[in-house]
Amino acid sequence: MTTTTIPPSPKAPLHRPVSPSVWMKQNLFSTWYNSLLTVIFGVLIASVIVALIRYLVSIDTEIIRVNLKLYMTGRFPAEQLWRLWAGVFVTTAGVGLFARAIVRTAQMKATTAGLEFDRSTPWDIVRRFWPIGALVVFTLSFTQTITPSLLTLAAAAIGLAAYWLGGGLPAWIIRRSWLIPLVGTTAFYFVLVGYGGVGWDLWQGFFVNIVITIAGISLAFPLGIMLALGRRSSLPVVRYLSVTYIEILRGVPMITLLLFGAFALGFVIPGDVQFSLFLRLLVAITLFQSAYIAEVVRGGLQSVPRGQVEAGQSIGLSPWKTTRYIVLPQALRNMIPALVGQFISLYKDTTLVFIVGLLDLLRAAQVSTAQPEFFAQGLESVVLPFVALYFWAGSYVMSRESRRLERKLGVGVR
Amino acid sequence: MTSTGAFADATQMGVTGETMIELISVDKFFGDFQALKDINVRVGLQEVVVVIGPSGSGKSTMIRCINRLEVHDRGRIIVNGIELSHDIKNIQEVRRETGMVFQQFNLFPHLTVIDNVTLGPRQVRKLPKKEAEELAMELLTKVQIPEQAYKYPGQLSGGQQQRVAIARSLAMNPKVMLFDEPTSALDPEMIKEVLDTMQELAESGMTMIVVTHEMGFAKEVADRVIFMADGEIVEVGTPEHFFERPTEARTKLFLSQIL
Repeated sequence: MTTTTIPPSPKAPLHRPVSPSVWMKQNLFSTWYNSLLTVIFGVLIASVIVALIRYLVSIDTEIIRVNLKLYMTGRFPAEQLWRLWAGVFVTTAGVGLFARAIVRTAQMKATTAGLEFDRSTPWDIVRRFWPIGALVVFTLSFTQTITPSLLTLAAAAIGLAAYWLGGGLPAWIIRRSWLIPLVGTTAFYFVLVGYGGVGWDLWQGFFVNIVITIAGISLAFPLGIMLALGRRSSLPVVRYLSVTYIEILRGVPMITLLLFGAFALGFVIPGDVQFSLFLRLLVAITLFQSAYIAEVVRGGLQSVPRGQVEAGQSIGLSPWKTTRYIVLPQALRNMIPALVGQFISLYKDTTLVFIVGLLDLLRAAQVSTAQPEFFAQGLESVVLPFVALYFWAGSYVMSRESRRLERKLGVGVR
Repeated sequence: MTSTGAFADATQMGVTGETMIELISVDKFFGDFQALKDINVRVGLQEVVVVIGPSGSGKSTMIRCINRLEVHDRGRIIVNGIELSHDIKNIQEVRRETGMVFQQFNLFPHLTVIDNVTLGPRQVRKLPKKEAEELAMELLTKVQIPEQAYKYPGQLSGGQQQRVAIARSLAMNPKVMLFDEPTSALDPEMIKEVLDTMQELAESGMTMIVVTHEMGFAKEVADRVIFMADGEIVEVGTPEHFFERPTEARTKLFLSQIL
């Protein structure tokens, strides 16, 4: 053998660091046309940045300061606002307790498995939910008195206290942690509506976007799962009903459905039963989204290999238990990105309710620009980005949480 | 048993005792293709029957019919006195009597090893959690991987996964174990650990039907060997008969190709 290739020493770096001027020469000005593109895009980017800065400097947020209550809660009666704050307290308390229950469940699992439990630090929580925190601070910066800030601090304190108290919850509640959101939601409803409170026909502003999102997801998700299972049922009646439902609702624009819910449903439902606009729209959104979720879940069901079902059958599990314990958990895990995508789209689609006259965040923003003191001043350029921030923060957190969940559940992937 | 070790047909049992599984004139079609042609087999209590044959010969289809993963079209299948019918209660009763081990393991990837093993006992046999977990640890010890109990299947080697699959089947306390090419998907160095586990199981008196290409296992552990080709049972005999003086031409051809 005459020539031998000597492998590079493992210590030699593959990419040698270069000076900025060399890097620019190599990457930005290597040929005449690359130089041309660099110059053109440099000018474009610079002008966009300049325009953005000039816009941000010129902004007058008076319209937001005046209308903050309208944006957040619409025409919720001012003397009843304490109920909404009480609802916020109930929510943070519930979230605190539920978070502790989840942590304790994970802790118990790790202990039985003899594994180290890696508790997330407060810093992790901040990193995960900073857009929401930033949004709250951002919102409070427009308030005219200090009361909302103090109440928000109180809500945060209640959440932390609930988390701490959750350490003392008996084990049987921890094992049934779904009780916490259930009781929390009931309490929330009672605090808002009970004893001469404010019915949901007066729930407006960003509050209504949040309520419709959460209620819509919690109703459409189980319904979608049932429809997906129905579509694979061995009973022809169930199968055809599911297919018909899914295909009809997926073939109709959501706006049509909302208009139907708002203006036509009253004629379809027999008798004198009157449902509030809020409820009719919630039903329309739930029905519409459940059809899409059903198709996502069906994709997930199909992704589970046939051998999994056979293994379940061979240990004697009934068809239902095979679905419940083997197929569905794997199907849903495989579908997390698509499902969360669907939830995000539901969140943003809640703004469509403004078409039928529900005063949600987007509609409130529009209304505010028509007020005499703000009319025809191009203030849409202020309020629309403001509205967009709220939807961005929620969507971004959902999307990041979905990726985190995927990674966490990916432990057992083969 | 004749002196040559050959059996007249597969309904003659090798071990004297009561009948555990009986297949009578079973036919099975996939569309126009006939996968099983007039299969008659009787397997006695505590007997170990190894089924060999070229791929596509109907071996897997036959044992998959026994626990109704496939539905036979004609004939009767009786497991421990229960005849398979279309009644789902009946099918589940038969499945409780039979454990099955698959070529691809088919462990549940979203559950830990111990949850894989306890799922059946808890959901079907209705054992309390603690009891089910004790049983699972006992079985995992038997297949020599108790230390992996809280890992996920994806974290185990193929051989370890297959042993978990065996433990999972045994947790249902079956009367019969069906093995569908249990070592075909394994790396060579892991085949032995699985075969050893199976051999121990056979020695403990389990009734077993094993579809395999492991001729060493057939020679050592089988009471009877059934050779199948083209959906038919071609020849039945003791391992000695089979590997030393097979009578059928197709058997001789098959053995010459693989040995």
